[in-house]
Amino acid sequence: MSIIRVNQLKYKYPDSDALAIDDLSFTVEKGEFIGITGMNTAGKSTLCYALCGLVPHFFKGGYGGTVTIDGMDVLTHELSEITSKVGLVFENPFSQMTGAKFTVYDEIAFGLENMGLPREEIHKRISDTMKMLGIEKLKDENPFSLSGGQMQRVAIASVIAMKPAILILDEPTSQLDPEGTEEVFRIVDMLSKRGMTVIMIEQKLERLAEYANRIILMHEGKIIHDGLPAEVFSRENLFEYGIQPPLYVKIAKALNIQDAQTGLYPVKLQDMHVDRKLSFSIQAARSINYKTVKIDVHNLHFSYNEGIDIIKGMNVTLEGEPIAIIGQNGAGKSTFVKLLKKLLNPNAGEILLDGHTISKRTAAKLAGRIGLVSQNPNDQIFKNNVLDEVLFGPLTIGQSKEVATTNALAMLELVGLSEKTDENPYDLSLAERKMVAIASILAMDTDVVIFDEPTMGQDYLGKLKVKEIIHSLYEQGKLVICILHDMDFVAEVFDRTIIFSNGNILFDGPTRVAFSNKAILHQARVEQPHLTKFVGKLGYEEIILDVNELK
Amino acid sequence: MKTMTLYREKDSPIHRIDPLTKLLFAIVAVSTSYIVSNHVFVLCVLTVTFLILIAGKVIKYILPVIALSFLLIASIIIVQGFFHPDRATVLFEIGSIPIYKEGFSIALLVTLRVVTMISAFGVLILTTKPDDLVETLVEKGLSPRFAYVLLSVLQIIPQMVALTGKITDAQRARGLETEGGLFVRFKSFIPLLGPVVLNSLNETRERSIALEIRGFNSKSRRTYLHEREPYKFGLPLKIILVLFLVTVIVWRVVS
Repeated sequence: MSIIRVNQLKYKYPDSDALAIDDLSFTVEKGEFIGITGMNTAGKSTLCYALCGLVPHFFKGGYGGTVTIDGMDVLTHELSEITSKVGLVFENPFSQMTGAKFTVYDEIAFGLENMGLPREEIHKRISDTMKMLGIEKLKDENPFSLSGGQMQRVAIASVIAMKPAILILDEPTSQLDPEGTEEVFRIVDMLSKRGMTVIMIEQKLERLAEYANRIILMHEGKIIHDGLPAEVFSRENLFEYGIQPPLYVKIAKALNIQDAQTGLYPVKLQDMHVDRKLSFSIQAARSINYKTVKIDVHNLHFSYNEGIDIIKGMNVTLEGEPIAIIGQNGAGKSTFVKLLKKLLNPNAGEILLDGHTISKRTAAKLAGRIGLVSQNPNDQIFKNNVLDEVLFGPLTIGQSKEVATTNALAMLELVGLSEKTDENPYDLSLAERKMVAIASILAMDTDVVIFDEPTMGQDYLGKLKVKEIIHSLYEQGKLVICILHDMDFVAEVFDRTIIFSNGNILFDGPTRVAFSNKAILHQARVEQPHLTKFVGKLGYEEIILDVNELK
Repeated sequence: MKTMTLYREKDSPIHRIDPLTKLLFAIVAVSTSYIVSNHVFVLCVLTVTFLILIAGKVIKYILPVIALSFLLIASIIIVQGFFHPDRATVLFEIGSIPIYKEGFSIALLVTLRVVTMISAFGVLILTTKPDDLVETLVEKGLSPRFAYVLLSVLQIIPQMVALTGKITDAQRARGLETEGGLFVRFKSFIPLLGPVVLNSLNETRERSIALEIRGFNSKSRRTYLHEREPYKFGLPLKIILVLFLVTVIVWRVVS
C-alpha cells in the first residue's frame, strides 16, 4: 500500500482568496525519492505542510480532499501523531533550533523527550543518529555556534532521530554555502539509499535529477507533470513554469544527445554518453568597455578581535567590468565589502574612491556613492508599501521628491515589480522582496553597486533578472561587485573574478583563467562550474564557461 | 556564541547540590533577612551565603554584580540618611548634606538585605545549569511551555541582538545616519525597529513550526534525557532550611 496518498487536495490560506493547492492527487510508495520543482509561489511549500499535517492543523484555512499518511487520515489525527511519521526540515537552519537546549546532544533529544521514550532509548538513538550523519564531534557544541551547514545537519538529525517513515525537505540548502550544501546532499542521499521515503523541494536541479526517482513539476497549485526526471526535464516548455532544465539537459541539447527510443535527454552526468569529438568556439571577453568609478584598496587590514585578522593586507583596484568575488564562508568576502562601504573601519590601510580616501566619511554619507544590497531583504524592509520602501534610500541621501520618485519607478520597472508599487512588501514572496531590496538600492543611483549573494533563494527567472540588472548597471557606467557562491552564475555573467581565501586575495583576473587554476581553486575550496567540470571529465583541456561554446 | 546564561562550570560540592535545595536556600535566605530587622542576623545570613559562594568557586562572579548595585545602594544611603523622619543624631556629612544615624541604620539594613538577595540567588544561578533547574521544576509540575520560554529567552535574546546589528548595517547602507546625537539616534529608531520586530515574528513562527514537528505539543508523557542523580544530602538540607525558616518566623512572632 502507498505510504502517502493525496486525493483531490485543495487548500487556501485564511487571508487569501486564491487556492494555494488546487486539486492535487498522487501517491508515493515506500522508499521513493520524490523531487518537487516549480517556480516560487507554485505551492510547493504548502504541499509539504499538507503532507506533515501543519496544513490544516497549524495553518487553518479552507481544506478539501484527503491526505493519508501510512494509513492515517491527516485531517482527523492529532498533529503529534502525524509528525511521528513525517519529519520536516526547512530553509532557515537558525529557526529550526529550539533555543531551549544548550548542546547539540540535548537539542537532538528534544523531540525524543516529547515522544516520551525511555532514557536508554533516547541515548541510543542520539548516538546512532549522530554517527550516521557524521556529527559526533559537534556533540557538546552550542547549536547556535555552528555554521549553517552544520546546523542544518543537526536539524536533520533531530528529525531523523524520531524515526519518521517519511522525510520532507523544503529547500534545505538554499541558505547554505557550497560546502554546507554538499554536506546536506550527502546525508539526504545516504538516508534515501537506506530506504527512507524522501520528498525534497530544491532549486538545484542537477542534484534533484541525480537522486530522485520521480519529479513532480508544480505550477500555481497544480501538478503539471509527475514522471521520471528525464521525462519532466526533457519538456520543451519548462521555461513557462519558471524553471530551466538541469545543466546536463542543456548540454545534451547543444550536443544533440538523445535517447534513440524515447527521445528523452539525459539528466545526470553518468548518463551523458558523448561518442563524438567535441569542438569549441571560445567566446572572447566582451569588447565594449564602459567607464566606471575606480576604487583603490591599499594594504587593507581588519580584525574583529585583536590578533585574529579577517583581512590580511589586501591590495586591489576595482573598476570597469562587473566583478565577481568568490570563496568559502569565512574567507572575508562580506567583511571586505563592509569595509568598502565603511560599515566597518579598517585597522590599517586605505580605500580610495576615485582618488579620495573614504576614511573621513560615515557609512550614511557614503551611501550616495556606494550601494550595498544585503543578502536578506527582511533586514531592511519596513514600509507599508513597495514604493515608499524604495523611496526611503533616495530621500535619505537627499534626492528631491520628484527625482526620487522617477528613479524609484524606473528601478521597480527594471526589477519587474512596476505592477506592485502599492502592495505591502510583506505580502510579496521572498524572491519578490529581494527584488524590492535591489530596487531600493538601485534607486539611490550610486556609482558603485555591491550585491551580497543576489542569486541565493532565487529561481531561474529571478537569476535571469539579476543577470539583466548587472548588465544594465554596467551599461550605465556603474561599477558592479558581486559576492557569489553560485559558480555557474559566475561563469555565465562575469568576465573578471577575484578569489578570496582566508583573508587574502588568491587570484584576480579573467574568470576563464580563474576556473582553469586547479591549485588555487582547491586552496580556496571552490568548485569549478558544472559545465567546466563536465568538459574536463571528458578529457578536454579547454575551460568552457557557456553552453553556447560547445560545438 | 553568546548566551545569557550565568552558569559557571566548576567542580565544587555546591555544584553537586540539587537545584531544588539551592532554590529553597535562596528563598529562605532572602525571606529570613526580611523577616528579622536585625543587622547582626542579616550579616550572619550574608556571611553564610558568601561562604557558600566561595565553596562554589564563584565568588568572583558575584562581586561585579554587587558593585553594580552599589549605585542603588548609595542612593538609598543618601535618601534614607537625609530624609528619614526620625532623624536626630548627625552621623557624618557628605559635603554639606548631613547624614543622620537613624536613617543610616535603616539604609545599612536595606543594603545588607539587597546584597544578601543578590548573593543568595547568585548561589542558585551561578552554580546550577539553567536547563537542570528548569527541568527539575517541570518534573515538579511547572508547565513545559512556560519552561520553554524561560530557557529559550537565554539564547534567543543574544540572537536578536546579533540580528539588530545586521539590520543596522542594512539601513546604514541606505544612508540612514545612526551615529551622532540623541536626536539622530532617535530618528533612526523606527527604520530599525520595523525589521527587527518583523524578523523576530517571522522567526518565531518558523520556530513554532519546528517545535510542532518535534512533537512539542504531544499529549504523551514526556521523559527526560538527563537523569538527575538524587543528591544524598538533599532531604536533610531541605529539612534544615525549612526548620530554620520556621524558627525565624516563630522567633519573630514571639519576640
